[in-house]
Amino acid sequence: MSPPDVSNESEKSAPGASAAVPEGTQAFWVRFARIRDVLVRVFVGDRLGLVVFLGVLAFVGLYWRVGFFINDNYTLANALVSLADGHLWVDEAVYGPGLETPGMNVRDGQFYGRNYGQVAFALPFLWVLQALGTVADPGLVLPMCWSLLVVALGREAGRLLDRPSLGLSVGAGLGLVAFATNVAVARPLDPGLFPVVALQSGSIVAAALAVVTLYRLLTRIHGHRVGLAGAALTALATPVGFWASIPKRHVTVVALVVGAAYLLYRSREEPSTEALLSPLGFRATAYALVGLLTWVHGGEAFAVFLALIIVDIPTARSNGVRSLAVVGVVFFLSMVPFFVTNVLVSGDPVRPPRMLRSFGSVPDTIGGGSGGGSAGGGGDSTGLWTTVVGLLPPPIAGAVVLTVDRLDILFGQFETGIRVLVRRPDRLVSVFVRGGDIGGVSVDNFYETIYLTVIEASPVVAGVVAAGAIGVVRIRDAIRRLFDGSGDAIGDRLSRLRGWTPSPAAVTDAFLLAAGVSFLVLYIWRLPVHAQITVRYLLPVYPVFVYATVRLPSPRRVLANHWRTGLWTWASGVLLGSQAFVVVVAVLSLGRGEAVQVHAFVGLAGAAVFATLAVATVFTDRFDRATAVAGGLAAALGTDFLLLSGLVYFQYGQYALPAAGWVADLLATA
Amino acid sequence: MDRSELFVAAVVAIVVAVPVISGPVVGVVDLTTESMAGVGQGSATVDGVETPETGRFDRALSADHYVMEVPDARIHVAAIEGQPLVAYKISVPELGYSRGTTHFLSDDDTGWVTLSVRSETFAPERIERGSYEAELSLVLRVNGTEEVLHEGPITMEVTE
Repeated sequence: MSPPDVSNESEKSAPGASAAVPEGTQAFWVRFARIRDVLVRVFVGDRLGLVVFLGVLAFVGLYWRVGFFINDNYTLANALVSLADGHLWVDEAVYGPGLETPGMNVRDGQFYGRNYGQVAFALPFLWVLQALGTVADPGLVLPMCWSLLVVALGREAGRLLDRPSLGLSVGAGLGLVAFATNVAVARPLDPGLFPVVALQSGSIVAAALAVVTLYRLLTRIHGHRVGLAGAALTALATPVGFWASIPKRHVTVVALVVGAAYLLYRSREEPSTEALLSPLGFRATAYALVGLLTWVHGGEAFAVFLALIIVDIPTARSNGVRSLAVVGVVFFLSMVPFFVTNVLVSGDPVRPPRMLRSFGSVPDTIGGGSGGGSAGGGGDSTGLWTTVVGLLPPPIAGAVVLTVDRLDILFGQFETGIRVLVRRPDRLVSVFVRGGDIGGVSVDNFYETIYLTVIEASPVVAGVVAAGAIGVVRIRDAIRRLFDGSGDAIGDRLSRLRGWTPSPAAVTDAFLLAAGVSFLVLYIWRLPVHAQITVRYLLPVYPVFVYATVRLPSPRRVLANHWRTGLWTWASGVLLGSQAFVVVVAVLSLGRGEAVQVHAFVGLAGAAVFATLAVATVFTDRFDRATAVAGGLAAALGTDFLLLSGLVYFQYGQYALPAAGWVADLLATA
Repeated sequence: MDRSELFVAAVVAIVVAVPVISGPVVGVVDLTTESMAGVGQGSATVDGVETPETGRFDRALSADHYVMEVPDARIHVAAIEGQPLVAYKISVPELGYSRGTTHFLSDDDTGWVTLSVRSETFAPERIERGSYEAELSLVLRVNGTEEVLHEGPITMEVTE
């Protein structure tokens, strides 16, 4: 299957643009089509990308519940209400039990939210919803949008498959049936919930952008099939889909990280007249996304920033003054929203709202001493440090102390993380492999074992262990060559290494690896912890694992030869598997925590089989077909968890699609 | 414009028009009526009740805590009109705990109707004894009045 590349196809004819239409209208449609083409190119790449994007939106809509999942969702929703009123301080708890919800920060008696980048991204969605709500029935706005989405999806998919009228008819038919069903069981939606819907919409769009960007990145490296597989696995078989409709920062962060990876890749490609930006432009934009990430979450942005500079600076074409100046200026500009927000909230451009209270010991006045939240060095060095700083002119000394303080806070977390990794490597097991009933976690989850590890939540990412096998094989071969003398002389190899520039894909690999490790180090000291469900702090790790898996030669070979097998196995695994889970949970009358553990056990089993076979593919192609089956099943288990957690286990609020709520009610009484 | 394009245009028009027709400005019809309207109104005649005599606190799957399991109760509905409510409630005085599930009956719920209480999780240290005496009740609510269908003891056995 290789869908035609249609990115360069220009579309001048839009619906309704026939000769009989007056000229003004035609000009409007032509301009509309042109703007649409530019947007498509910038945000989703090509028509297949558009289909991926719309597909993710439609899929997540199926189990979108309008409401609050975790109590700090209230914080963001109240912050958005305030922002829509034109101020950052939160003066009214429109939602939730009060203003003192987790994540709310206090300064001078005023409450402030957090993740303002995400809140600001939701603002345009709120305006559109409020505008629609003035003329349309609020309870029917989301069903309307979803049906229009399905119509658009049918249209684009039809054109892609060269069956335009079939696509139009099927899309419109499905859209109409879905709409009619939704209207039949429709319920009112309180327009007061629009801010929540807006936050959720922003998050869902971010999820779709993350997935489509991964598709574009992998398509550039390995073509459409691998791109599509990576995108589908990320959206359907990892918890990215779980968190997509929940107003938390994680999915937005994933979108920005994957976006930075994509732009970094583009910055290493040969300059081309086709591209919208020069390689330097792409490089600077990669930094800009990290800059925007600071606005969403400063600590995570720093983790990604570290990964980016560690990989970018040593591998860049040029680190000349001009290049670095461009990158620096763009990076600085991208952080302006972050600085402005901080000034308005904390009065300090480099102190995000989170640092107001959560890092209690940040000194208020410059020169108040370093130390911060992390246990710093001994008293002697502090004394020496104060002396050195005292010798500097006051303005510079202030800046130095401030910088060191902030870096200390940021690096402090990494230091703690590395220490935890060294002393308690067993934590990796309860983060990646087996969770179950972990002391301290279940208690805070109201005695429900609803904590899943990375592999329990997304068995298909276990395929990444094939990378280990490939590493072993490569090292073995290298050593063998060294001793045989069959390879080149060491001198030759070294001289070749000197002029070596890594391929764009290698640079991207390194960045995503570094970003994944960086997230792990940042959060490992807090994990495992309650209210994670799927280790949400490490959400960016899931797409990194998917990326790594489909980048490996042997899984790619399986994909090339047996993708149909994998696809059909996945489809049956979703259709039959999800029903089997419902039946087991109902027949054994399992509580929620128990049901989640059933997913964990089955997921671990599926992951073990798939991982074993994925390793086998490195050495032989005899098990390729079986690997495709195991991979399809592992992916299906991830999808089953998404659907059942959305429709059965975690019910809160009303469903965006009333028909989905109707199905959920049916399942609840089953 | 070929046929499929015409179909799409029609579908888009319908999908956009219906919310407007039901919307705050036009408001010719209200398609999103509160589903709670009419709930608890009507009448019902219940001429048979079956309730369990024992329930269980089971150890949860792969965890230390307990899951409360109350078997389903059944009522025989001889006649029904509207949407009466039935509350199925268990209380365990020694644990200071009670929980009820309200069931919405509808016109076609005649004959035996099964009622259930959702299972709930208990911390391991909360369950200290081998069994607990609990109270079970079934209450029919219609037009703001309450009719007790059943009230009686149930033994909750703790299984390890």
